Parts: sequence; structure tokens; C-alpha cells
Amino acid sequence: MSGLMEYNGSAIVAMTGENCVGIAADTRHGIRQLQTVSCNRQKTFQVTDQCFVGLAGLATDVQTLSQLLNFRMKLFTLREERKMQPRMIGNMISSMLYEKRFGPWFTEPVVAGLDDNHKPFVCAFDFIGCLSTAEDFVVSGTTSEQLFGVCESFWRPGMNKDELFETLSQCLLSGVDRDCLAGWGGVVHVITPDEIITKKLKGRMD
Amino acid sequence: MVEVEEPQDYLDVFQSQRGGFSFENCKRNAYLAAQANIKPPTAMKSGTTICGIQLKDAVILAADTRATEGPMVADKNCEKLHYISKNVFCAGAGTAADLQHTCEMMESQMELLRMATGTEPRVCTVVRRLSSMLFKYQGYIGCALVLGGVDVTGPHLYQIYPHGSTDKLPFTTMGSGSLAAMAIMEAEYNENLSIEDGKKLVAKAIRAGIFNDLGSGGNVDVCVITKETGGAILRNYEKPNERKFKAQHAAFPKGTTPILKEEIMKLVSVEEDVVMRD
Amino acid sequence: MQAPVEQRWSPYADNGGTCMGVAGEDFVVVAADTRLSQGYSIHTRNCSKVTQLTDKCVIASCGMKSDAITLHKHLKARMVMYEHQHRRQPSVTAIAQMLSTTLYYKRFFPYYTFNVLCGVDDEGKGAVYNYDAIGNMERVPYTTSGSGSALVMSVLDAQIAKSNQTIATPSLDKAGIVELCKDVLSSVGERDIHTGDYAEIFLIDAAGISKTEFDLKLD
Repeated sequence: MSGLMEYNGSAIVAMTGENCVGIAADTRHGIRQLQTVSCNRQKTFQVTDQCFVGLAGLATDVQTLSQLLNFRMKLFTLREERKMQPRMIGNMISSMLYEKRFGPWFTEPVVAGLDDNHKPFVCAFDFIGCLSTAEDFVVSGTTSEQLFGVCESFWRPGMNKDELFETLSQCLLSGVDRDCLAGWGGVVHVITPDEIITKKLKGRMD
Repeated sequence: MVEVEEPQDYLDVFQSQRGGFSFENCKRNAYLAAQANIKPPTAMKSGTTICGIQLKDAVILAADTRATEGPMVADKNCEKLHYISKNVFCAGAGTAADLQHTCEMMESQMELLRMATGTEPRVCTVVRRLSSMLFKYQGYIGCALVLGGVDVTGPHLYQIYPHGSTDKLPFTTMGSGSLAAMAIMEAEYNENLSIEDGKKLVAKAIRAGIFNDLGSGGNVDVCVITKETGGAILRNYEKPNERKFKAQHAAFPKGTTPILKEEIMKLVSVEEDVVMRD
Repeated sequence: MQAPVEQRWSPYADNGGTCMGVAGEDFVVVAADTRLSQGYSIHTRNCSKVTQLTDKCVIASCGMKSDAITLHKHLKARMVMYEHQHRRQPSVTAIAQMLSTTLYYKRFFPYYTFNVLCGVDDEGKGAVYNYDAIGNMERVPYTTSGSGSALVMSVLDAQIAKSNQTIATPSLDKAGIVELCKDVLSSVGERDIHTGDYAEIFLIDAAGISKTEFDLKLD
């Protein structure tokens, strides 16, 4: 593979549960297959109290876009004095990506959050901003095929926060173990109405 | 001499870039492609089946719900029928992001036009605007549309190609499953159909695409537009592809996955009383 | 001046489909879908990828169908020849080695097939062999090949090898593995456009080979 999406490697998955939502990402930062630069790369970013954005793809664009997002979120809070809802964040990212339709950012974001009614919301984008929402799970990154397989098998409706965490982390670890471009540990965020649980996973380091 | 004002900070840059496409990254991306021999990725396509029919006093559109990224199904139940105004809807095939945003833009243009003129938009207006825009972008905006609506002059059905060419037809199909759907249309279309029979016909045509074309799949969405009631999308009008088997795996017991570190952030609501001083 | 015309000959096609094999203590389960497709069109919905070679050995092949047919025909002929010469059927291990040689024999014009060979060996243990197109062979506890293989492998890692799990859960029995194979193929049918229609499951144990069929999605 020699695409820009496969240059650094990443695996991101978001899932819904009963009144909770979770997002998991690997932590490898590599250069193609042969070189791993670091193994504590941040790929998920908290944008509001109850909303995370995961950015898969080219690492430089992941960083730039995360900063751009941060800026847009702050600007919104200053102007409107209210919290952005996850669906709104989704639409904002969609137009930010589509603005660069003919010179795109090489990232495929994933949004996971709880809205004001504690209803879970997950959505994913392609790199030019096609928004697709799902009731169950969304995946992104070089490991997407493997993640589609495990999530189809392991996702079930109405998971509580503990079940959601175990399912998410098993999906992530099983997925990245079959992808040489992603892995080297993982991080899982589970968002519930009154807390955010962040756990670092012990994954294979090879 | 024209004075060019240099942007002072990021906010100015941000302001000056509002609206329209930004070509900021083009040079960098071209450099990356040339120097590192890295090819850009492919966008999400909807290898779709869409169709539409025009009846005596109604237009009916229909679409499947599969979005693909190569051989993978990226979205099993996406929406390909787009609202443009109360009396005009369209079904899209091609690059998914282009379809979403082009239709949203047309929706806002038509709403502004409605408010400015105080009349409901005509179908030919939408078609003209879309075809001019798509022609301007020389096919790089990959939208293949079946557009239908009912206005003061009656029901109309158009198809629009990515390069901007348009056709006005009594019935049409588009997308990778268009041949399968057209086979049904050619055999069974009749302009004197009732609305109920029309819904059955478009659903049958979409089903032909869903089952015989690998790029199409999922459910059937239908949209009926009439003079009296305007348009309404019947989401998942037919669901011929429910999953047939799902094993009940035992859930992973709590504590299965090895963890290195755990952090819990408690969310508390802070209420501030603002005291006004004079 | 007319520009030179480049002629190309591309003898390979990908007909899609997914197959998988799981070895148990004294049995083996093979599952495959029956869709035969090319590009965006379905050639047929009911075309088996699995051929029975002996009383306790089957082969499942994904990749290009015409090569798979030729290979399976060749293997069946070799089975008959072996029986005539040795007055017994070849063991799974013998067939596995022979298949490897057969594939490597065509090293520079390979059969475009990705094979999974499954059976019960002479010790009565379940055996699954995994091949690449040119005869690299490995005996494994479970494997998969074809267009949906990436989706299958991680699920098997989690459910059979139980990798990344600190709490021991009981391993799956015969019925559990058949159930798992059905579930995994249904999952692949949801997401891989080349996998679908119907699926076959072969269960090979001391009692012989039994085949069951079930439905996948038709879209």
C-alpha cells in the first residue's frame, strides 16, 4: 500500500451503548510499515465535555485538524455561550472537510458523543466530508476492514458502560493485531452522563 | 494600484476564507504525490440504484441505501433521497460527499429564493442552477442526479449528469444498478399508473438493482411528490435485507481486557449566579 | 504517425467469496459462501467453493473460479490414482503436501486460488492447512481466505485463540464453533459486497462428513 491514508496507520472505532457511548483508538505513530516513531500518539480529542473526535489518517493532518477544531470550538463557545451538540460537531466537521474538496486533508474523522438528552451519537466521515451516521458503530483508519468484521460480530444493543468498554477494547485489540500499520497499545474513552472513563489498554507491542 | 490588505491574524484569514472551496492544500498534496509517490485515497462512492417516474399529477423517486468504499459497505442504511424544497426532491448517485453538500447548497438557495420571491421554486430553476454549477466544475463534482418535483406547471422529472447535461424524461434510472432497474421500468412503466402502483413500480425497480448489482443494497427509500401535499420521503419503505442470523455470543466478562491505566473524569454541573452591579 | 499500440493479456480474474476452516480436537469445520461474482455483477448465487477429496478431507478455494475448478479436478484425479496404487485413500497430511507441490509446480504462472484444506488426520485430530497461491503451506488451528478474510480473522483470534483476554472462558465445543462460523459468515455478508447469497458448512469428524446450508443476504 502506498497511499497517504496508509502512511502513518491508525485504527479508530466508536460504539453506542445504553445511555453511553465509547470511542477507541490505537496509539502507534509509524512511517509506513518499517518504522515506528512512537507508541503514545494521541488520535482522539475531547472537543466538548461529552464529545470526542477521533482522527485517523495522515498524522500531520490529524494534528492540524485537531488544532483547527479546537479553535472553532472555542470561537463557538465565545460567540454563542453554549455547548455544541455532537450532531452539530458532525455537521461542522463535514463542511470543514468539504471546503477542502479539491485539496483535502487526509483524515477520516469519527465523532462520538452524548447529546443533552443523554442520547448516544456516533458518525464517521470520508476524507472529503461525507457524513454517515450509524445506530450501532462506526470505524475508520487502516484497520477498518478488520474492525468491521469484529464489530459486526461483537456489537449488541443496550450495552452498559462496562460491557461497552470490554466490547470496544476487544474489538480494537483483535482488529489491530491483524494490521501491521496500527496497534502498539490503545486508548478507550467511555462517555456516560456523569463521567468520562479513560483507560489505556495493554496491547501487543510488535 | 490596488491595495492588498495582508491578513492580520488567523481570524482574518478565517474570515476571508468563508464560503467556497479552499485550495490551500493543493500545492502540498501535489508535492506529496510527486515526491513521495503517494497516491491520494478514493472517496466514498455510492454505487447506487436510483430511479424516478413521472405520473399524471405526481412524481415518485426511489433509491437504495448502500454506500461503498471499494468492496466494503461503509454505510448500510444511508440516505440518498435529498430534500431541496417542499415540492422538489432529488436522488443522487456518485461521490457521496459531493451529493450531500451540493443538495444542501441547493436547498439553501431555493429557500432564499422562496423568501425573496414569495413563490415556491419551480423545478426548472433547480435544474438550471444545478446544471450550470456542475458544468462549471467540468465533471469534477461527481453528482449524477434524478431530480423530480411538482410546481405550478405540473409534475417534472429530470436527470442530470456530472458534466451538467440534463434530460427531461417520463421515467429514468441512474447509478451502477441502472440497467437492472431500467429493465423493470421499460417493461412496466405507464403514465396512467396510480400513485400506489407507481410506488410499487419504483420499489420493484430498486429491488432489481439491490439484488442484481453488487454496488447497490440495503433497503428501499421512496419519495412521493404531489401537488396537494408536497413531497414526503418514505424512509425504508421496504426492508428486504434484514440480517438473517446473529449468534448470541457470551458477553466478555468485566475485566477481560488487560489495562495499564485508568482515569475517571467526573462531570459536575456548575451553576453560576450572575449578580448585576450598578 | 500512429502511436504504438500496447497489447496486454490479463488472464486472471477475482471471483470473490469467503471461506474459513476451524480445527477442533477431533473434528474440523469448514464454511464458505456460494456467491460467484465479478466486478459489480453476480454470475451465480449457488456455486460451491468446497470439493470433497476423500472421506475425511475437503478443500475450499477462493480467488479465480476457473483455476479453482481446474485445480479441484486435478486433485480429484490424483486421489483416484493414489487409491489405485496404494489401495487406500491418501491421508490429509499427504494431500496437504501434494497440494503444496502442485501449486509450486506452477510457480511462474500460478493458479490464482487461495486454498484452505481441512480434514481429520491419521491420529484423528482436526487439521487445517492454509496456502498462498504458489504453494506456501502451514498447518494452523484456524484460517480463512477470500475477499472477506480480513473481517473473519480478527473474530477468530478473539473467539478461538482468545488473544488479549485475561479471564479464561470455556473454549467452544463443536456446536459452538458451527454457530460461530455461521455468525462470522453472516457478518461478512453484511459488509463485503462479494460475499453473500447462501453458505455451506461442512463438519468432518469420526462419523464422516456432514453438510448443512444456510441463507445469507441476497443484496
